[in-house]
Amino acid sequence: MKHFLVMCLFAALASIVFGAISKDTPRERVIYGAKVFAEFIAIGLALGWLLYFIP
Amino acid sequence: MVKSERLQTARVEPVPGRAWWIALLAWFVPGAGHMVLRKWGRAAIMGGAVWVTFFVGLAMGGHMWDLSPDAAVSTSYFDWTTLIQVPPMIGNLGTGIAYTVCWLLDIGFKDDPAQAARTTYESGTYFLIIAGLMNYLTTLDAFDTAAWRKE
Repeated sequence: MKHFLVMCLFAALASIVFGAISKDTPRERVIYGAKVFAEFIAIGLALGWLLYFIP
Repeated sequence: MVKSERLQTARVEPVPGRAWWIALLAWFVPGAGHMVLRKWGRAAIMGGAVWVTFFVGLAMGGHMWDLSPDAAVSTSYFDWTTLIQVPPMIGNLGTGIAYTVCWLLDIGFKDDPAQAARTTYESGTYFLIIAGLMNYLTTLDAFDTAAWRKE
């Protein structure tokens, strides 16, 4: 659980910066940041499960 | 229009010297570049994210890198065990003053087995590198804003 929370914290901080430097309007930035956050979590979980089955 | 004509008509805006100084400040003190540009929200959000990432990494017991050869395995700066420290060190260097202060006070640079045994050691190390890389992005954003390439 601790590792998952650390991953969420990392994803949140990185997506804040990615969202802030991209796009033109605040609304687009928030949407892009949320999208990047969701992608970080989804890909992290997918890789975690993939590596779980690899000895 | 042929290429030579396009090149003649394309105006290349010179980068103001102020933009380079702002970029240097933005690198050295995360968030300060946007503060000088009076982009308070961006300074708080982007600079804040860099500082939080750095201090969380430090609190998790992360390790930072410099170019000092490890006496146990190497004595030269050009040994691969020393050179392999360059990429993470470039990442760490991105945090500017935070890296410099830690380096001067020897915080986070020691090879301590007890610190390395912590479950958060590796995550902390990555947080410290990512904080620097995020500050490079913040620096580029401040430079582009100062050079009127973006608002």
